[in-house]
Amino acid sequence: MKRVLCVLAFAAACRPAEAHIVASRLGDFYAGALHPLTGLEDALLWVVLCVLAGTQNVARARWLVVLFPAGLLAGFAAGTAFGALDIAVADAGFMVLLGGLLAGAVRLPGPALGALAVLLGVMRGVANAAGAAADTNLPLFAAGLALAGYAAITLVTAGTEAFRDNALGWRMITLRAAGSWVAAIGLMAGGYALRAV
Amino acid sequence: MIRLLLLLLCATPAMAHEASMGVLQFREVRPGSYVGGWTLEPTMGAARVQLQLPGQCRLDLPSLECGPRGLVGRVSIGNLGADMSAVLIRLVPLGGEPRSYTLTSASPVVSILGAGTPGWEAWAEVARTYVNIGIDHILLGADHLLFVLGLIWIVRGGWTLVRTITAFTLGHSVSLAAAAYGVLGVPERPLNACIALSIVFVGVEIVKLQRGEAGMTARYPWAIALGFGLVHGIGFAGALSALGIERALLLPALLSFNIGVEIGQLGFVLLVLALIAAHRRLRATLPGWAAAAPAYAIGTVAAFWFVGRVARMVAA
Repeated sequence: MKRVLCVLAFAAACRPAEAHIVASRLGDFYAGALHPLTGLEDALLWVVLCVLAGTQNVARARWLVVLFPAGLLAGFAAGTAFGALDIAVADAGFMVLLGGLLAGAVRLPGPALGALAVLLGVMRGVANAAGAAADTNLPLFAAGLALAGYAAITLVTAGTEAFRDNALGWRMITLRAAGSWVAAIGLMAGGYALRAV
Repeated sequence: MIRLLLLLLCATPAMAHEASMGVLQFREVRPGSYVGGWTLEPTMGAARVQLQLPGQCRLDLPSLECGPRGLVGRVSIGNLGADMSAVLIRLVPLGGEPRSYTLTSASPVVSILGAGTPGWEAWAEVARTYVNIGIDHILLGADHLLFVLGLIWIVRGGWTLVRTITAFTLGHSVSLAAAAYGVLGVPERPLNACIALSIVFVGVEIVKLQRGEAGMTARYPWAIALGFGLVHGIGFAGALSALGIERALLLPALLSFNIGVEIGQLGFVLLVLALIAAHRRLRATLPGWAAAAPAYAIGTVAAFWFVGRVARMVAA
């Protein structure tokens, strides 16, 4: 619990300016790879998608290794071409949806899981496009972002699959409880985003 | 494959982002008093450089007054980054050897030592600075990382991988030290072409292995890693020598730089091993017809680098 709180506190403490420090020190590839860490939306949504995939059948989950980074790339391309959008409500909706599916231990068909991954990838790709400055090398930034998406989805999905793959029922209960928290955070974030509407 | 080649041919030098650098030089005219200025002004303009000098110093270009203590202490630049990547500060003391200090966005602070024996704070500053430079260098060195990836691909894991990576480390540490002390000198352009060729070699070895032939690297991975480690180490030394380190600080700077390189390399190896284990867990493997694609991708990228570097060598 302490570790989870520490990670959340760290993610919340990151500021957008840090991405530009990374860019000036290590270049646009690493700026793209680390940009998702500058906002809680990316970290939370990516992790809950990975955990949801890890609780599904491996044969379905493994397609996300390709589909999620592809969605990120497509979204990034759309975001840089047409401009970034304010998707705070959509983010909150996805938190509720993915958290609810995890909490309910819903078994998703392969195409539905794949479609969720692509849709989330596109959404977050569009959002991350806002992190690219005028002088950013876009192909490098996009490559870093997609590679970060690939590494996250591969490592966290496999980690979740390994974590739940035993006879201890409490592990699945833990994951489902985490899903309910994410759904609750999504409800709060949605209310906050809608108050201005 | 044709599309990949076309994509590679479309890559332009503009992708290598190079920000401007500046050179600031001061000559000591009497104890504690210096005269100097920008011998190479950064493109952003000298007036915008946020230079911070030790408390005893007063800068009013071209004059710099530091009192009886002299120019000793922390010097930093607050706005190094995309518009100004590095600043070289060159000091010419009265009756002493000229000294150079490099400030980069990774290491925006340097401790300037006096004529006496440097204290532990100075050594700690050098260690912190050069560990960071070492980490940055390996993380930005796509060619070094691609070579290590190729080795992991061939050796896969276990103690053979530990021995192979240790041999690579040993190789590049020895040649880095030799090149940094001037024992060994190789021109930069042919060296960079050789580094690219070492990756092409590893790519070919992966393809051989996939065809069931045990190539040199599969049979003697540690020997290949040691040999090419020597080549890559001279490349690391090139990056170190470009920073203009004071001779008295060369040994701690070299050790710290090497530690930084090892930290970055170890992080990369662990990440790749974790990804391999995750792929196995998810049974996410390439179909048979595409199994050789990564090896061809590694070889093609390295061949592109090799041709480009040889072309630059010939054109020079």
